[in-house]
Amino acid sequence: MLRGAFSIWGRDMLVLRRSIISELISVIAYPLTLYLAFGFGLKGYISDVGGIPYPLFIAPGLISMTAVNAAFDESSWSMWFHRRVQRTIEEYRVTPVTAYDIVIGKIFSGFSQGAIKGTVVFLVILVLTPFRIDFSHLPAYLLCLALASMTFSCLGTMCGTIIDKPENIGRVQSVVIVPLIFMAGIFFPLTSYPASILPAVRLLPTTAVFEGARDALLFGAVPPLYLANLVLTAGICFVLAVYTFNRKMAE
Amino acid sequence: MPSAVTLNQITKSYGSFTAVDRFSLEVERGTVFGLLGPNGAGKTTLIKILTTLMRPSSGDAFVEGFSVLAAGKEVRRLIGVVPQENNLDRYLTARENLILHGRLHGMKPADYNPRIDELLEMTGLAGRQHDFPDTFSGGMQRRLVVARALVHEPRVLFLDEPTTGLDPQSRRALWEHIRRLRHTMTVFLTTHYMDEADALCDRIMIMDHGESLADGSAVQLKDAFSRAHTYEVDFRGDAGGFREILEGLSFVRSVEQDGTTFRLTLSGEDALKPLLDSAVGGQIRKICLKEPSLEDVFIALTGEKVRE
Repeated sequence: MLRGAFSIWGRDMLVLRRSIISELISVIAYPLTLYLAFGFGLKGYISDVGGIPYPLFIAPGLISMTAVNAAFDESSWSMWFHRRVQRTIEEYRVTPVTAYDIVIGKIFSGFSQGAIKGTVVFLVILVLTPFRIDFSHLPAYLLCLALASMTFSCLGTMCGTIIDKPENIGRVQSVVIVPLIFMAGIFFPLTSYPASILPAVRLLPTTAVFEGARDALLFGAVPPLYLANLVLTAGICFVLAVYTFNRKMAE
Repeated sequence: MPSAVTLNQITKSYGSFTAVDRFSLEVERGTVFGLLGPNGAGKTTLIKILTTLMRPSSGDAFVEGFSVLAAGKEVRRLIGVVPQENNLDRYLTARENLILHGRLHGMKPADYNPRIDELLEMTGLAGRQHDFPDTFSGGMQRRLVVARALVHEPRVLFLDEPTTGLDPQSRRALWEHIRRLRHTMTVFLTTHYMDEADALCDRIMIMDHGESLADGSAVQLKDAFSRAHTYEVDFRGDAGGFREILEGLSFVRSVEQDGTTFRLTLSGEDALKPLLDSAVGGQIRKICLKEPSLEDVFIALTGEKVRE
């Protein structure tokens, strides 16, 4: 069971291993710049948010953002590349593996990329900045991150399956993914929103990701509503990703 | 002998366009079977249906007795596929491409490693097994795709236009590999190249517009069309105005001209005398019966019009 998924995941990890240094340099640069720019640049203006020092407030979100972005990027581009450019998806499909194997393999890969890159950003922030955590909070944080990475891997898989023109994947990132991430309170508390739209913002899966991850890392627990949101969203996205892939392949 | 491949009234439609229309076929085990047809004839559609990449609109197909509709996974266990375009993984070395294929077939390293060594040796790629496919020539990439399709020792090998775009040397090298597979497995081949079908196939089917037009060995097909009464005629001097005269003769079915040489298809042997008696008869320098090639058979059946 899932033999095919693990074979595909193994292939993706072998390829990642070959380019790990360049991948990590590019992936660290962006969140680290944001951390230094916002964390230190705005420290003089915003000393704390709800009693949490501002650099500490934004760090969990930046680590989570790295992980989910990596999960989305890997799944979407990899699926698109294997389907449209290399056509290796066709090679997978004439072997005894199932559509589930292929989708799950790609989701594993997205999740692994997210976990590896998120961990590295976390370590870099830990080494270069005064950001510190209680390591007993890590399991709750990782649970949050795993569910978020799965959701974004599934979204990426769907994009890579449906979208034929590569520029449209970039557009989905700019118009859907980035706004969802930035609206979810990485850099500011959700209470800054007008009361009328706050309930809608709290329902966003990305809010559950970033608020949940911050609570998990700083206080050791994911609020139940956020956890339910994360589990439900990951489940729905997985079903949709498999359905979309099967449908596309049947064309 | 039991069938390796069976197509039972297969139809595939895309909206109002019918790519394959109630197509039936049985291919015996151990045969090298060639499916010939112009672009858009429906060859690739049939291969996609047989390799479970596409579902037919109606009908069913069977590989070694397993239905492509009801037992797709079993079918995929038994087949090897060489697609029209090389779909090698350019981020994996030649050997890693073969290993991944073995793993996707559930093979263990103890099983796939010796097999891969053997295939790399057979295809002449052993010395380049740790290189990436992007650094290979077209012929080497094609040989690697064939090797990959053979890792799990399939019972039926599907080759979709395997030598398209290759230089003559690479084509002949690939033919050699395919010849070696004869009688060890069933080979189902599509091609545009008549010499390829002539050289490799035990049985040939010519199809067009989703339907079978002729079926038999290369010799049988050529024999059947030798009754087409095609003659090559050379004229003395300037043959400029002859074409019009020849086309006007009631017993001349078709005229092709190459300089002073004309290729005429006559209605029958009894048309020879009236040809010699006609206005151009006195100018004939040489006339000989033209033995049809497989290409003649193909053109006669599918027409000369270029397909989009």
